[in-house]
Amino acid sequence: MTARVGPAIVVRDLTRRFGTFVAVDRVSFEVEQGEIFGYLGANGAGKSTTIRMLIGLLAPTSGQATVAGHDVATAPGRVKESIGYMSQKFSLYLDLPVEENLLFFGAAYGLEGTALRARAAELLERVGLDAQHEATTGDLPGGQRQRLALACALLHRPGLVFLDEPTAGVDPVARRAFWDLIRELARGGTTVFVTTHYLDEAEYCRRIGLMVDGKLVALDTPAGLKRTWVPDRVLVARGRGLAEAGPRLGGAPGVRAVAPFGAGLHLRVDPERFDAARVAAALREAGAEAVEVEEAAPTLEDVFLAVVDRDAGGAP
Amino acid sequence: MTGAALLRSLRRVGAMAGKETIHVRRDPRTLALALVMPVVMLFLFGYGISTDLDHLPLAFADQDRSEASRALARAFEGSREFEVVAHPMTEGVESLFRTGTAVAALVVPRGYQRDLLLGRKAQVQLMLDGADPVVGNQVLAKADAIARAESQRLAGAAFAGLQPPLQVKVWTRYNPEGRSALYMVPGISAFLLAITAVMLTALAIAGEWERGSMEQLFASPVGRLEIVLGKLLPYLALGLLELLLVVAFGALVFDVPIRGSVALVMLFGLVFLAGMLGQGLFISVVARNQLVATQAGALSAMLPSIILSGMIFPIENMPLPLQAISRLIPARYLVHGLRGILLKGNGLGVLWPDLLAMAIFAVGILALATARFKRRVA
Ligand SMILES: Nc1ncnc2c1ncn2[C@@H]1O[C@H](COP(=O)(O)OP(=O)(O)OP(=O)(O)O)[C@@H](O)[C@H]1O
Ligand SMILES: [Mg+2]
Repeated sequence: MTARVGPAIVVRDLTRRFGTFVAVDRVSFEVEQGEIFGYLGANGAGKSTTIRMLIGLLAPTSGQATVAGHDVATAPGRVKESIGYMSQKFSLYLDLPVEENLLFFGAAYGLEGTALRARAAELLERVGLDAQHEATTGDLPGGQRQRLALACALLHRPGLVFLDEPTAGVDPVARRAFWDLIRELARGGTTVFVTTHYLDEAEYCRRIGLMVDGKLVALDTPAGLKRTWVPDRVLVARGRGLAEAGPRLGGAPGVRAVAPFGAGLHLRVDPERFDAARVAAALREAGAEAVEVEEAAPTLEDVFLAVVDRDAGGAP
Repeated sequence: MTGAALLRSLRRVGAMAGKETIHVRRDPRTLALALVMPVVMLFLFGYGISTDLDHLPLAFADQDRSEASRALARAFEGSREFEVVAHPMTEGVESLFRTGTAVAALVVPRGYQRDLLLGRKAQVQLMLDGADPVVGNQVLAKADAIARAESQRLAGAAFAGLQPPLQVKVWTRYNPEGRSALYMVPGISAFLLAITAVMLTALAIAGEWERGSMEQLFASPVGRLEIVLGKLLPYLALGLLELLLVVAFGALVFDVPIRGSVALVMLFGLVFLAGMLGQGLFISVVARNQLVATQAGALSAMLPSIILSGMIFPIENMPLPLQAISRLIPARYLVHGLRGILLKGNGLGVLWPDLLAMAIFAVGILALATARFKRRVA
């Protein structure tokens, strides 16, 4: 393995066109050794296309990328040996037993004999599938399959793994279990590049890149993103009659956004003009009763909405 | 490539092949297609053939009208395999064949008894209705056996130690090549190998695209050529097994001779299979999904190997354009080659052009398919 010096990934102006369509547009970023880097974006934002360029599956139209110290354009073979990849489309062999999947991918990465068997057993235990090693892969529930796919990507002890929407279509409990594995991996020093749709998951990432229409529009820690993109105060109001009172408040100066949130309201307000008490008063004035207002921490969802709003024409 | 790198590469090919073998072993449909279908096909083509082979209607044209000629007629009738249904003049035989009254005619020329008595070779003619190749072939075999027995009887009686006095001259009408079960076995081999190889590889490789695992493979250090080799090798082995099965089954059940070398049969099978695997690979690279790949695979494997290979329709009887097209069909060379090896005991000295033609096809299609496979980014 190459010496762990410098960032795990360096990307400069990476661009990929399909015909005239620009799927990834001059993207630049660095991923540090050992961090969990989240790559977020809506469907078709260019997440998978970026990953496929980074792992040597797809040639960039322009720009450079260095992955695990190797140039993607000139040494794709080296890149492939140094990384693990879990593709978005589920790609284990469903007709094979669980263990055979591991043994095959291990052999594909050059492991063999007792070392391969030992490594497969070790990973099965780590992802909690040791009891199912003889089961037919297709019989496993989705969450377990994803964990097996992760195990397959880890056999050759890569220092860097790319996980493309590893938790898509998996129930919340299984997602949680999967993320526990990812965090354990990162604690062990492995760099994780992960894409997801789930904004709650993104909170686990050390840093997040936000993709919109092929462009990387924001890149920071979750806290940093919230500070930059949601300077407003976020408040949650509960009470009676909010459904009518909320919209009346909507147009007032200093109120940036009002949205229903469960049985209550979710408000974004100018911190200079409003705090919880003043919002409660304004809501009572607008006809609501038994109002309680609490300050809430902004979520990545707020960030995402702000980013998309800005991109749709407004300023942050 | 250094030795160590080559070894690593071979291991990856081995890993692919091993995985593919597990797929095959765990999929009863594949095994059925490869190992049960040949037997069923052989039965389908082979039977109807060997049922009801006694009491074959025989016309006996006796121009000699002697004691010896009547003895010959008795020999034929006594075997129970023939039944003399008519005593026509030679000219009448044709119409007996046309109406289906007789499937064979034995013509004993004037002077038969005299020749025998003088110790000269006596000739009789066996005229065959070759239109039904299967029946024709059975008649030939049985008539030959009876004539030989009669010949021995005659020789034993009067001319011990001399060469067999009775000679049967066979004259086949309509179908001079005398196609039969013997000729079907090589034909069926080509057909079966083509189907197995093209369909199974097309399916297996299209399956990898469809499943998305091809992308996973491309992201691993396994090279594209290694993927191709690893995926094809198990089907190559399966195809050879199938060929052995067909040849063995043909020999045991339908008495198809194996006059030439079995190793040469396998060599022909190997080269033919390489071409068919390439064809399957090519289809799957173009088609991308299993449904289209199956249909294209079945069509491209079955039609030419049935229609243009000479398995059923003699190539010499085809219109010229079809004859020209058949030259591009590897099945044609396999059928010709296998017939040569099995039935005539031909060796490479005679059959090398067939082998060469198949090899050219195999190299061409494999190169084309691998090139497309390489160029196609996941
Ligand atoms: N091979 C291709 N040919 C043409 N267009 C492509 C190709 N691959 C991707 N695209 C297009 O590029 C855009 C980005 O695709 P990409 O798969 O990178 O999105 P994504 O962010 O991964 O989306 P998702 O969340 O749906 O996986 C999409 O509009 C897609 O249709
Ligand atoms: Mg994607």
